[in-house]
Amino acid sequence: MSNPSLTNRAGTKVATFPKWLEPLVMLAPAGIWLSLLMVIPTLLIFQLSLVPGIRPGQVVNPSGLDNYFKIFQPGYLPVLGRSLFFSISSTALCLLLGFPVAYWIALMVPKRWQNLVLLGFVLPLWTSSLLRSYAWITILRPTGVINSLLKAIGIPPLDILNREPAVLIGMTYSLLPYMVLILYASLEKLDRRLLEAAADLGATPQQAFWKVTIPQAKSGIAAGSLLVFIACMGDFVNPELLGGASSMTVARLIYNQFLGATQNWGFGSALSMMLILIVSVAIALQVRYGDSSLRG
Amino acid sequence: MLSTIPSSTSLTRRQFLRASSVALIGFGLSGCGWTLAEVRPATQPRGNKDELYIYTWSSYVDDPLLEDFATLTGIRVIPDIFNSNETMLASFQAGKGAIYSVIYPSDYKVAEMIEKGFLSELDSSRLIGLDNILPKFQNPVYDPGNRHSIPISWGTTGLLYDADTLNPGPEDWRYLWENQDKLDRRITLLDDVREVMGAALKSLGYSYNTTNPDEIRQAYEKLVKLKPAITAFTTDAWKERLLAGDLYLAMVYSADAVRLIKENPGLNLKYTVPKSGTSLWSDTMVIPKTAPNPDAAYAWINFMLQPAIAVDVTERLYFATPNQAAYDQLPAPLRDDRSLFPPNEIIEICERIIPVTPEATELYDQYWTKLTSS
Amino acid sequence: MVHHKPKSRLPFSWQAAFSVLMFGFMYLPIAVLAFYSFNQSPYSAGWKGFTWEWYIKFFNDNRILAALATSLQVAVLAVAVSAVIGTLMAVGLARYRFPGKGIYQGVAYLPLIVPDIAMAVSTLVFLAAIAIPLSGGAIQLSLWTVVAAHVVFCLSYIAWVVSTRLTDLNPHLEEAALDLGATQVQAFVQVLLPELAPAILSGCLLAFVLSLDDFLIASFTAGGGVTTLPMEIFSRIRTGVKPDINALSVVLIGATGIVFSIAEYIRFRSERKRTR
Repeated sequence: MSNPSLTNRAGTKVATFPKWLEPLVMLAPAGIWLSLLMVIPTLLIFQLSLVPGIRPGQVVNPSGLDNYFKIFQPGYLPVLGRSLFFSISSTALCLLLGFPVAYWIALMVPKRWQNLVLLGFVLPLWTSSLLRSYAWITILRPTGVINSLLKAIGIPPLDILNREPAVLIGMTYSLLPYMVLILYASLEKLDRRLLEAAADLGATPQQAFWKVTIPQAKSGIAAGSLLVFIACMGDFVNPELLGGASSMTVARLIYNQFLGATQNWGFGSALSMMLILIVSVAIALQVRYGDSSLRG
Repeated sequence: MLSTIPSSTSLTRRQFLRASSVALIGFGLSGCGWTLAEVRPATQPRGNKDELYIYTWSSYVDDPLLEDFATLTGIRVIPDIFNSNETMLASFQAGKGAIYSVIYPSDYKVAEMIEKGFLSELDSSRLIGLDNILPKFQNPVYDPGNRHSIPISWGTTGLLYDADTLNPGPEDWRYLWENQDKLDRRITLLDDVREVMGAALKSLGYSYNTTNPDEIRQAYEKLVKLKPAITAFTTDAWKERLLAGDLYLAMVYSADAVRLIKENPGLNLKYTVPKSGTSLWSDTMVIPKTAPNPDAAYAWINFMLQPAIAVDVTERLYFATPNQAAYDQLPAPLRDDRSLFPPNEIIEICERIIPVTPEATELYDQYWTKLTSS
Repeated sequence: MVHHKPKSRLPFSWQAAFSVLMFGFMYLPIAVLAFYSFNQSPYSAGWKGFTWEWYIKFFNDNRILAALATSLQVAVLAVAVSAVIGTLMAVGLARYRFPGKGIYQGVAYLPLIVPDIAMAVSTLVFLAAIAIPLSGGAIQLSLWTVVAAHVVFCLSYIAWVVSTRLTDLNPHLEEAALDLGATQVQAFVQVLLPELAPAILSGCLLAFVLSLDDFLIASFTAGGGVTTLPMEIFSRIRTGVKPDINALSVVLIGATGIVFSIAEYIRFRSERKRTR
């Protein structure tokens, strides 16, 4: 990324301000902003996460990992498990539903239409995410759209609002466009000659798909899955609006510790750190996996 | 736009590890022993004299009321809404409270806020019409002598149900457990730890304010049994769903119930106060010590104390005024509404929620989190 | 709908059929909102007659319009600040080597991966525990704290989009300008910026939409009396007040659709010019 020759050249010119000032002018504003509102706050919640059960107005006295142990108590472990379940299932669903769409757009739609079709697919992304979840409430309600239709044709109603399936639908719906975009980007680059070569060599379409298409789309699959996974782990809106009484997730639990009923900033901070940790592990895995797929 | 979508993240693992290790070193250097998010009164007066920010329950203000006040005093009122005492206090302490000059906590939260030193003592010489308040609200346990708070509304907690679907309707808390299969995923309970735990306690024959760990645990276990029937814990999100028929029954405050019943005469909605007793609440107006505009706050409280205004809001927003003068002026149907103004025999079986010991509070919170998290 | 056009020219395949189904899935919620926004009955799923009532209500609803204004204000301010410092950061990172660059870079793109809720929480704790007490109450949660918090992620997104453009830029252009006697500032403003403009613009658009849509960070950092549109929508969804919210969604979807189409059209044209 960096270009030393450019820097050297710049140095030999008569500068309007001293050479050392230039990088400072460019990097300091963002640097200060990020350290104030990103680095220091993260350190701060790390410190708070070491204070058991602290509420506003109490003295900060870091004393250990109690808040972290609390996450793994039977009362809260299911919450973590549920968050992971939602994230992993939504990722799988997005992959399953998104891959054929991306494949169709990238390899079967004529080149000049591709952008437009893709655009059409991701357009709903640009509407308020809250309103999209709200729409799903309207659709899934016991007396909502789906159940009215089911009733009309005599099928027993689906009671899924405020339950896990509703949250999964909401999450998958919100993140499917991202998955399709990323898969499309990697499938579009696919070397079609390889597919033709495979066919010439007598491979069936299935064989060609598994041996040629999938390996080439691997990095896209990994990147898309990572993005969906991370977004689901931190999703508050879908579990809150579609989930109801029995789908507490880590994000909702964190919210409750600060602005909700149970004020416990220490526990909330520990949960936040946990969330960051899970996301980091996912990224580390992806970086490792992505590297090896490039090498292989 | 499409060109901006990444094929992979640009972070490398090494950069990330380095960043996080620096974070840890930084932590080692940071100190401890400071007080977290202390709520302090303002050093100098802030804010616009013509603006009054109030923090209130969703059904306590409407546009005509604010307009009346604005024409009378020239002060523009900006209301923010909360849906539980706990979230109100959480937001207040998180630093969002500094702008409000009037807040509407309920009885036991008033006591807690007084104890934490958040509320300023009211100057009774600046208040007009205090004598109009019903005697039984003159000297409440949560704030003896109303020194920090002025009652604005009172009522009971009970069950609102669709009498066409549930016939016979509930008469007691026990109904919920006895008819659990019929009510499967068709009820909501309040998003309030003390109310919900209290209802379970009451159904077991215990007090709303018990500090006995064993009784609290039993209540929790009873609620766990009811959990499959509960679609949500919510203070206000039940309205639309009850009207649409998605819900059969909701645990609600009487003021909300009466309002919904009056606004939807076409539906057969009924409110009932459980026989074994329920909680008796009153909501109040307080002025926090941090209030940027106390003058306007007094003006607002005096405005709300006027009998004519109290009659007006009772008729329009259906909240039960504790104002004797206003009560006398109410039209008879409203005055005799047993849901809105519960008669003495109901009040006698009810209990007020009062603050409990810190240990018990902790226990309530623990069970509540467990209940809502599982 | 535009996206159905290519279908007719394609041989039938299960992928095509499946994709059409998925298009249906993507547009179903929007169609439902539109349907309800014209439906007289506020609750029932059935059609009870056509009405404009909800639209009239919506356009007379001062709370929603004020929230919309607040949101636009936040988004414009945050994006404006981020556009400047984000672009500078991207160029600076591409140009210079310095000790600790790895850390700087890691932190710079952290907001892209840290979940919103964690960012919201840490910003609130920072403001409540350090900024407010240290400033003696001069800093309070307000509109400005929302803007400051939004700048964090906006600047990351803009810098990221700009840096992808920087990597495939001809590095000799600015060099040539310097050789021809331009000052550094001139070279930056007259040579580099025009080259980066499309990337900056699309970064800004992305950041703008994200800022407009943000609920969590705003609700943690907004002061009392400051309500952004997502906060207002959230509280209305929870309380379930009347379906003028359906009208709001249709208006919003229409507006974003139009803005987005125009932006895409401009980008399309400029790209064509470049390739010619």
